[in-house]
Amino acid sequence: MKKILSGKNIVKTYGKEQETSNALDGVDVEILAGEFVAVMGPSGCGKSTLLFALSGTDSINSGLIEFDGAELSRLKENKLADIRRTKMGFVFQQPTMLKNLNILDNIILPSLQENRKDITRHIQKAKELLVKTGISELERRDITEVSGGQLQRAGICRALMNKPKILFADEPTGALNSKSSEGIMELLSDINKNGTAILLVTHDVKVASRADRVLFMKDGVIKSELGLGKFNSVDMQKRMNRVTLQMRNFEI
Amino acid sequence: MYRKLISNDIRKSRLLTITITVFILLAALLTSLAAMLTINLFTAIDNMMLSAKTPHFLQMHSGDIDMERLSVFAGTQEDVEDFQVVKFLNIEGAEIFIGENSLAGSVQDNGLSVQSKGFDFLLDLNGNIITPADGEIYVPIYYMKEGTASVGDRVTIHGMPFTVAGFLRDSQMNAAMISSKRFLISENDFQKMQGFGKLEYLIEFRFTDSSAASAFESAYLQAGLEANGPPAITHALFRMANAISDGMMIAVLILISVLVIIINFLCIRFTMLAKIEEDYREIGVLKAIGLRGWSIKKLYLAKYSVLAGIGCILGFILSLFAKEPLMENIRLYMGEGSSPGLGIALGIIGAGIIFFIVVLYVNSTLRRFKKISAAQAIRFGAPQERSKVVKGFLLSENKLLSPNIFLGMKDVLSRKKLYVTMLLVLVISSFLMIVPQNIHNTVSKRNFMTYMGIGECDMRIDIQQADNIAAKALEITSVIEKDKDITRYTVLTSYMFDMRLEDGSMGKLKVELGDHSVFPIEYSAGTAPRGESEIAISTLIADDTQKGVGDTIVLLIDGQEKLLTVCGIYSDITNGGKTAKAAFETSQDRILWSIIPIELRDRGMTDEKASEYKKQFSYAKVSDIEEYLDQSFGTTIAAIKKASYAAIAAAALLTVLVTLLFMKMLVTKDRYTIAVLKSSGFNNRDICRQYVTRSVLILVVGVLIGTVLANTVGELVGVGLISSFGASTFHFEINPLFAYLFSPALMTVCVYLATRLGISDIFLLKISEHIKE
Repeated sequence: MKKILSGKNIVKTYGKEQETSNALDGVDVEILAGEFVAVMGPSGCGKSTLLFALSGTDSINSGLIEFDGAELSRLKENKLADIRRTKMGFVFQQPTMLKNLNILDNIILPSLQENRKDITRHIQKAKELLVKTGISELERRDITEVSGGQLQRAGICRALMNKPKILFADEPTGALNSKSSEGIMELLSDINKNGTAILLVTHDVKVASRADRVLFMKDGVIKSELGLGKFNSVDMQKRMNRVTLQMRNFEI
Repeated sequence: MYRKLISNDIRKSRLLTITITVFILLAALLTSLAAMLTINLFTAIDNMMLSAKTPHFLQMHSGDIDMERLSVFAGTQEDVEDFQVVKFLNIEGAEIFIGENSLAGSVQDNGLSVQSKGFDFLLDLNGNIITPADGEIYVPIYYMKEGTASVGDRVTIHGMPFTVAGFLRDSQMNAAMISSKRFLISENDFQKMQGFGKLEYLIEFRFTDSSAASAFESAYLQAGLEANGPPAITHALFRMANAISDGMMIAVLILISVLVIIINFLCIRFTMLAKIEEDYREIGVLKAIGLRGWSIKKLYLAKYSVLAGIGCILGFILSLFAKEPLMENIRLYMGEGSSPGLGIALGIIGAGIIFFIVVLYVNSTLRRFKKISAAQAIRFGAPQERSKVVKGFLLSENKLLSPNIFLGMKDVLSRKKLYVTMLLVLVISSFLMIVPQNIHNTVSKRNFMTYMGIGECDMRIDIQQADNIAAKALEITSVIEKDKDITRYTVLTSYMFDMRLEDGSMGKLKVELGDHSVFPIEYSAGTAPRGESEIAISTLIADDTQKGVGDTIVLLIDGQEKLLTVCGIYSDITNGGKTAKAAFETSQDRILWSIIPIELRDRGMTDEKASEYKKQFSYAKVSDIEEYLDQSFGTTIAAIKKASYAAIAAAALLTVLVTLLFMKMLVTKDRYTIAVLKSSGFNNRDICRQYVTRSVLILVVGVLIGTVLANTVGELVGVGLISSFGASTFHFEINPLFAYLFSPALMTVCVYLATRLGISDIFLLKISEHIKE
C-alpha cells in the first residue's frame, strides 16, 4: 500500500537554553494510506506532540515530515492550512467547536471556506454525516445544548466533511463514558474501512486494539510497535491481550 | 495569598495592567491638577483684588465731567463707601515707542494713568502699591508677557522719554481680552503729557456691600450721570475677566479629564469582561469547591484597587510637578494664591475621588459573578449572549457573505457587550474630530459676523466721540453716493433712549436706527425691524427685560412714549451686547455714534478704499471688515483652529491606541477559537479578515453614530462654547468634505492600521499550544 505520511528523525524540544527537554527525540514513523495506527504510552511520553508534529500543526526542531508527497516541515503556514482543510481531519479529546455557531454551522464551516458556492451540497453532506453518526436531530442545537459524546460525534462529522486522506485523533474518547466511547470507536472503524487513514493517540487498550498497528512510545521515542491486522470484533479480547502484553514488556 | 494571586495576574497580563494604570494615572493627574489650579486661580484673584482694592462699579466717560454732581450722587447712595474719578490719558499706539518699536499695530487702547488715591491701586509684581518717580514708567504686565518690554528699556511717548522701572498688575485691565491698558507714570509727568492724548475718566465706586452693584447701576443711569463710554463694569465682571483665560485652560483640563475618565472606564470594563470571560472556568471551579461569590469578587476588586491606588498616588505626585508651569501665568498676572495647603488638599481629594469611582465601578461590573453557574462555567466557559437575531443568523442560510465576513459579523452580534466599548470610543473619537472642526469652520466663515450682530459688509466707517455726528455722516454719505466702487451702504445711528421698565421705573436702552435690511444679520428669533412700531433686541436685553418676540417695549422718544413690538432677537457682541435695532425716525440730536457699513464692487479693493476714506475723513474710524474681525476674533479663531487640529490628532491617537489595545486583548482572549479555526484549515489571512470585519463593522456603526451626533448634538456643544464669546444662536457650517469624507477616512485608516497591528499575534499563535490536552 502507498505511504501517505512519514516522519524521519523528528526532534521536538521544549524549554529554553539549559532547561530544555526533548519531547520527540529522533522519531521515525510511516503511515500507509487507509491504515489505522494507534499511539500509546505514558503521560508526557510525546504521543500528542508526535500527532501535532506529523499533522503540521506544530513546528519541529529537526527532521523531515512528508504528507501525500509534500514536505510539511518546509511548507508556509497558508499552504499548511490548505492541506489541513482539504486532506486532513482532526478530532480532539475536548470537542473544538465555535461557541457562537450551532452544530450544523460548525460542521459545514471548513467546507464553506473551501467552496462557498456549493453550500446546498455541503449541507446535504453534513446532514448525511449527522444521520450516520446518529445525531441528526441535533443539527440546529447550540453546542452547549448537547452532551460530550454527541459533541464529539459532531466533531467527527466536521472532520469528515472534506473527505480527508487522514484523520488525526488525540484521545477522542478520553472524556467520554464507555458507551459513548464504544460508539465513537465504531464510527472511527467505519471511517477507516472506507479508506481514510487514522492516526490515533490513546491511553485506552480497548481503543488501541481496534488499530491495524500500535506504536508504543516512551521518553520521546518509539520503543516498539505491534501489528494487529485489520479489526475484527470477534478477535477483540485477543487483540487487547496482545496490546497489554506488549505494554508490560516495554514497561509502558 | 491575595498578593501572590494579584502579582501573578499582573505579570501575566502586563500590557493590560500598564494601560489601565496609565489611564487611571492620567485621570487622577488631570483631576488633581484642575482642583489645585482652580483654587490657586481664585485665591490669587481674590488676593490681587483685595490688595488693589478693585472698584465695585466703573463707568468710563469721555467729555466734560461734573465732579460736584457725582459727589452729591455718591453721597446720596447709602452703599457707597468710597468714590473717585481716575484720569486715563488715551495715547495713540503709534506715539508710544518701547525701545525702537512702536505700539502702532497694537489692538489695545493704551493710555497713561497716575496711582489712585483711595482704591483701584496699580500693583508691582510683589503685590505692593507702586509710587513711580519722575521719568519712570511702569508697563502693563501684558507687554512683559508679549515680550515687548523689559525693565530698563526706554519708552518714548510723544517724544518724551521714560525708563521702564517695572511692570504693573492692574486688577481691572490685566487680562488680554480687556482692550485697555494703563501705563503708570508720576503725577508731574502726567501733567506734562496731558496735551498729547485724549482724556477719559474712570468714574469708580466702592461699596460696603458688593451685591449692591446692580441696583446702583440702574440708579446711576437713572440719574443721567456721565456715561459717554462703554457700559459700566462691576466687580463681578472684573473677577470674571481676570479668571477667564486661565479659567478656560482649567475648563479644558476638566473636559479632557472627563473624557479620559470615560475612556478609562470603557477600558476597565472591557478588560474586566475579557478577563472574567477568560477566567470563567476557574471562577466556576472556585464556586464549585465552595468559595463564596464575594470571596472571588474580592480577588478582582483587590487587583483593581491596587492598580487604582498606584495610578492615583502617581497621578497626584505628577500633578504637583505639572502644576508649576501651568501656574506660571496665574502667578505672573495675579500673584500667589493664599492657600497652597488647601490646593494640595483639594488635589488629594480629586485624586481620591478618581480612586473611589474606579473601585465603585469595578465593584458594579463584578455584579455578574452572582449569575455565574458553576456547572455551566466548568463545562462551556463563558456563555454567549443570546438573541433571536444572533440565533437566526446562520451560516447554513447565508449565501451572500464569505465565511470570514460571516464569522466576523456573527462574533460582533454574539458579544455586543464586549464590542460596545470599542464602539463608544469610536463614537467619541468621531465626535471629537468633527465638532471642533465644525466650530472652527463656522466661526471662520465670513458670514459668522451676522450671528454676532454685525451685518456682512466689506468696510465700515464709525463716527463717534465727535461733534455733530449727523452732519458728519451726511458729509461722508454724499461722497459715498458718488463713489462708483461702492455698491451698497447704509447709515445706522445709535441713540440712547429711556425705556419704561415693568415696575414703572425708567431704564436706558441703546437703539440703532436705520434700514436693517441692507446688511441683514441673523436673528435667533423673529426678523429684522421693518415698520415704525417694530424693535429687535439683543439676547442680553431680552434676558434682562424678560421680553420675547411679540412682547412690547415702551420707549420715551422725543418726549413721548412710543409702544414698540419686539419683532426679533439677535446675538450681539458689540457695545457690551446690550443693544436694540429699530427703523423709526427721531428728532433727538444727541447721537451716540453712527456706523456706515459699505459693500464694494470688488472686495479686493478694500485696503485701497479704506485708506482713501481714512485720509479724507480723519474724524472717522474706517476699518476693513476683515481686519476688524481679525483684530476682534483673530486670536480666538486661531486658537479654535489650533484646538481643532489638536482634537483631530487626539482623536486619531485615541482611536489607534484603544483599537490596538482592544484587538490585542481580543486575540489573547480568543486564542482557543483561533486555534480551532487554524486546525479546521483557516489560514492566518482568513482569520485576520474576520478580525478586520469586526473592526470595520464597529467602525461603520461608530463613525455613523459619531458623525450624526457631531452634526446634531455637537451643534449644542458648539453653541455653548461659542456663546461664551457672544453669539448664542447659530447653525453649524458643516464642511461636508471633512465631516463626511476626511474624518471617516482618517478613522478608517487609524482603525485598520491599529487592527492589523493588534492582531499580528495571530500569525504567532500555535494550534498545539492551545488545543493539546
